[in-house]
Amino acid sequence: MPFKKPAPKPGAAINEVVLGTGENAVKLGGESVLPFYGFDAEIANTTKIGIEVADVEFEDAVPGIAVLYAGATNAAERVVRAAGVPGVDFVCLRFESADPSGADTSAEDCAAVAKSAFDALAGAKPLVILGSKNNEKDAQIFDKIAAALQGGNVLFVSAKEENYKTVAASAGLAYGQKISPESAVDINLAKQLNVLITQMGVDAKNLVMNVGSAAAGYGFEYVISTIDRIKGAAMSQNDATLSMPIFTPISTETWAVKESTASEADMPDWGSVEDRGVSMEIQTAVAVIASGSNAVMLRHPASIAAVSKLVNALA
Amino acid sequence: MAKFITIGERIHCISPVIREAMNSKNPEPILKRAKEQLDAGAVYLDLNIGPAESNGEDLMQWGVKLLQENFDNVPIALDTANKKAIEAGIRVYNRAKGKPIVNSADAGERIENIDLAAANDAIVLALCSAEGVPGSVDERQAFCMEMLERGMEKGMDAAEDMWFDPLFLVIKGMQDKQKDVLDTIRWFAEQGFKSTGGLSNISNGMPKHIRPIMDSTMLAMCISAGLTSAIVNPNDLRLMETVKSCDAILNETLFADSYLEL
Repeated sequence: MPFKKPAPKPGAAINEVVLGTGENAVKLGGESVLPFYGFDAEIANTTKIGIEVADVEFEDAVPGIAVLYAGATNAAERVVRAAGVPGVDFVCLRFESADPSGADTSAEDCAAVAKSAFDALAGAKPLVILGSKNNEKDAQIFDKIAAALQGGNVLFVSAKEENYKTVAASAGLAYGQKISPESAVDINLAKQLNVLITQMGVDAKNLVMNVGSAAAGYGFEYVISTIDRIKGAAMSQNDATLSMPIFTPISTETWAVKESTASEADMPDWGSVEDRGVSMEIQTAVAVIASGSNAVMLRHPASIAAVSKLVNALA
Repeated sequence: MAKFITIGERIHCISPVIREAMNSKNPEPILKRAKEQLDAGAVYLDLNIGPAESNGEDLMQWGVKLLQENFDNVPIALDTANKKAIEAGIRVYNRAKGKPIVNSADAGERIENIDLAAANDAIVLALCSAEGVPGSVDERQAFCMEMLERGMEKGMDAAEDMWFDPLFLVIKGMQDKQKDVLDTIRWFAEQGFKSTGGLSNISNGMPKHIRPIMDSTMLAMCISAGLTSAIVNPNDLRLMETVKSCDAILNETLFADSYLEL
């Protein structure tokens, strides 16, 4: 019997979400097929790459990262440097210093920094804002930053089970920004958060999911199976509550594991710290992209070059 | 497998309100019932215009357009004994959200409705009976095979577009036949056939407060046996909760705490 190519079922597509404004705006998602299944249907948008910048300097940065930011004295200058790295689609500014157990920078000060960075970027690349991973404080800084950047179409990462009401009400509803529900490898929670946030009135097309992230080798199979299951639900089961594009900010994970941090003095057999860190970042990124992540966050220019090359070669 | 498909049964000319609306071409009562059913989660809407011998073609076209124009091309089961009316309805039918369903064919006088579905690339509800109540599972299987053969001769994709109906029977009076229905559904599923049927039949004549209990229990048992669709009252909350729970248990939809609200 001759092979009959099954026609893909119509209707199931990932939402297309726009970050930023103007000619340098970036589109995430929009595809109606599994990752890189370009033979089934045209894939509207390639996987996008964000570069991670912190509001404070990275501690113990490897040479490739240190040289990129050498001489930059503040977050705005670092953001501009980051935006110029080849292969970068958008810039992720992470407010590490907002952490109450650290520098505890006030929400007003964070907003001022965000505004200066946004203005310095001058629309060259869209901006994504990440918090300090303190739920309560993140809700506060997101509120002020979202107000300061109103009209910028900025993505806020993340809205979690603990703070989604505040984040959705302020960044999502009051200031019309994009928000990223985060669900830490819990597929049921991923769906539930999308449902709850859209029930509050946020348009599903303003959501970009962060379904969990880990460095390869660190519970990573849960990340992959989570992304697989969510893409499967969106595509095969036509589940509109899961048809948001996925953003996986892996670099905060990959640069924190021992493969990327152990010194050459401690681990003489492991080779260069920088090479290890870049390798970890590339391997992790490629795996989540192959599973269907529509965007990733990376830190090192060499990783960005490699992943960008891969994405474009497969496009 | 896929999510269970509910076909909302409430636009039916046996209801005085609907019959009057169809006679006078008054959209409001029909649109109201359509909305209630879709809000409750119905996938298809059944549009039953009765025998409609005199004005069937016109009425079916009016009904199809009315529903599809107001509800984003909702897919419809065209339900009448008047073949020409079904064909007329299909002529104005928009397939964006799914093929039309011909409701229905059987292995007796209405077998030609299979030809009609095949000629129009429609789904056909194929009732496994010829006249009266089939006596056994074997008899249902024989009717099924007869209709299957007819559909395949006419070029139908039988696995996708022939939905076999085991013929649901009223429990009051035919309690001893219920197991046959379940066994027939199980056999359909083993063959890879899709299936459907008028589920609410089973609780006919029972007190109003009992019917949702009987219907939803029977439905869960049928879905477990492999039933893929049913013609139901989607405004029976217990029944729709059962459908959604079955979809979750069978992993046809991803569970979330708010799943009953979706």
